[in-house]
Amino acid sequence: METALLGLAAALAIGVPALATAWAQGRIGPAAAASLAEKPELSTTAVILIAIPETMVILGFVVAVMILVGAGG
Amino acid sequence: MIVRMLRVRIAGPRARLDETLGVLQDLAVLHVDRPPVAEAPAPDPGAARERRHLDRALADVETALDRLEAPASARGAAPAWTSVPPLPVLADAMRRARRVRRRADALATRRSALDDERHVLLRYREFFQAFEALLGHELTWPDGQAFYVVLRRGSGGAVDDVRGSLEAALGGEVELLARALSTGETAVLILASAAAAPRVSSLLAAARVDELPAPAGLGETNLLRALPAIRARLDAIAREERAVDADRAALARSEDDWLAGVRAWLRDRLAQLDARACAWAAEHLFIIEGWLPAARLGDLQARLAASLGPAVVVSPLGAEDWRDEHAPVTLRNPPLFRPFEVLTRMLPLPRYGTIDPTPFVALFFPALFGLMLGDVGYGLMLAALALVLRVRSTPDSALRSVSLVALACASSAVVFGVIFGEFFGSLGARVGLHAFVDREQATIPFLGFAIALGGVHILLGLVLAGLGAWRRGHRREAVGRGVTFAMLVLTVLLLLAVFEVLPRRLFTPLVVAVLVAFVVLVALEGLTAVIELLSTFGHILSYARIMAIGTASLMLAVVANQMVGALGSVLVGAVFALLFHLVNFAIGVFSPTIHALRLHYVEFFGQFFSPGGMAYRPFGHWRPTP
Repeated sequence: METALLGLAAALAIGVPALATAWAQGRIGPAAAASLAEKPELSTTAVILIAIPETMVILGFVVAVMILVGAGG
Repeated sequence: MIVRMLRVRIAGPRARLDETLGVLQDLAVLHVDRPPVAEAPAPDPGAARERRHLDRALADVETALDRLEAPASARGAAPAWTSVPPLPVLADAMRRARRVRRRADALATRRSALDDERHVLLRYREFFQAFEALLGHELTWPDGQAFYVVLRRGSGGAVDDVRGSLEAALGGEVELLARALSTGETAVLILASAAAAPRVSSLLAAARVDELPAPAGLGETNLLRALPAIRARLDAIAREERAVDADRAALARSEDDWLAGVRAWLRDRLAQLDARACAWAAEHLFIIEGWLPAARLGDLQARLAASLGPAVVVSPLGAEDWRDEHAPVTLRNPPLFRPFEVLTRMLPLPRYGTIDPTPFVALFFPALFGLMLGDVGYGLMLAALALVLRVRSTPDSALRSVSLVALACASSAVVFGVIFGEFFGSLGARVGLHAFVDREQATIPFLGFAIALGGVHILLGLVLAGLGAWRRGHRREAVGRGVTFAMLVLTVLLLLAVFEVLPRRLFTPLVVAVLVAFVVLVALEGLTAVIELLSTFGHILSYARIMAIGTASLMLAVVANQMVGALGSVLVGAVFALLFHLVNFAIGVFSPTIHALRLHYVEFFGQFFSPGGMAYRPFGHWRPTP
């Protein structure tokens, strides 16, 4: 039971930030594409802006790994 | 590194201004700047008129070159004008440029019209090919009428609607035939008796279905009978297109070099007028001021002395000791680091007196990339791609720089792949690689290493920020950066003491030191320093992504390898594994690139990078961009 709960915790640790990242990138992506259509020189800024929300899922992944490693899995 | 600049003043007799500008243009070293005199020179109406004429001529020449499809980099045979040619010669050249432009324009317009006509006729031809077999149907109503309609893509269901409506309204007086075209459109032929034709016409109009008109200019209004004429016209168009292309090639052969030469002369002359407008000229004296790399002062003095004698004097106005923010910026890095300028130039130039991050990017970008990808197999694949890119790129092009950056990243990935013992993931052991660090097992130590590396990177950024601020004379800011540096180091030491990596007795002195440093920091930089400090800790933690992306990449490769035995057939499994490895390679190159860039642009540059520098543009002869 405890193993199942730890697994669920790890899944939530990565799943919830993944949804948040997807939601944020889903809003930033179209805005960035629209900006690039008018100002192609903003490509660097666009790439950075799109990459910023990935921090959430990456840190979620780190937390999930720590949960699993802490559980001995 | 940002090149140290020097502001100089060149003074001489007014009569020798043009000659001096000529020498400066040949030397191409001075970024001309307006002297800070109280009284601005009155605008020269003659120069303004000349500029208007030259701008118009340049537009003619560039349009003609564009229409003749000459490469932008064509330098051409320069006209033999070393100075301003006599007016009649210039006027003749301008007339010739205008004539060539008009001729090139006419040829381009004709070519475009023929192209459009061909596309329209080809559309008809396909329509007829769809209905050629049905020609006999039209003859069943010799006095009847045929209607030709093309329905848009995806409107296949509309054919049944049209048929149903027509049959309901006209019964057996109408027949409808439909064929799908390769374009996805539907060709519809409606045959109606003479009595029903007006009603069909009005029904089509009411339904807003446009009839396909017979092509104009063929002398035939009936579409099916126009077919032979269309075929003949298509042949004629092909012949005309060949003739227009030949005319254009002949015009390009005879005029391209001359036009490119005139363009170079016009651009040079316009640059002279710009430089002249920046010079301060009185009745007997002129003064030109500008910036040049400090190391080139000797060249400038020697060239002016040799060409103009002692009458024209160059005086340095003093090295600005990195403090003049109006100084233009140019970067000069060792050849090994230079390709990485392609990454720093994606951001605006750094301001004069600040730090050029290129050398640090050259060291850390491949290192971070290699840590994330860390696989001998993928590294070798990337190296092969980089070599192909290098062979296909021209020297000094952005693509060549990208290939060299990719090669550095690939080498780093191979080196870390050897350390991690990874060859397409878990196949490392099978090819004899020994894992000095097993990323699959040592996730927590790897996480600690990634964050420690982030700490080093951020501390380096703080050192650079402090040095830059000190160099520009912002002593308070420099000390603030130093105290932030000390705060970070003390906090790390404190954490090590808490976890008993360092002796426990250091705990109290370290707490006191952190508190003192915190008070000093707030005194120096205000309360915003607290927020900045917290964000700096956040930036260090952000480097955890190195471990996350690296581990994810490894796990994907492991899954790809497991496919071989998991899908029943070894062959099918191997094919799937190869495909999965290809996908993982694409992700494995793209993701570390984006995140290594982000760690540089956001976390590292955020500590010290100050954009907004003005590019150094020496007054010289026009050079086409490669």
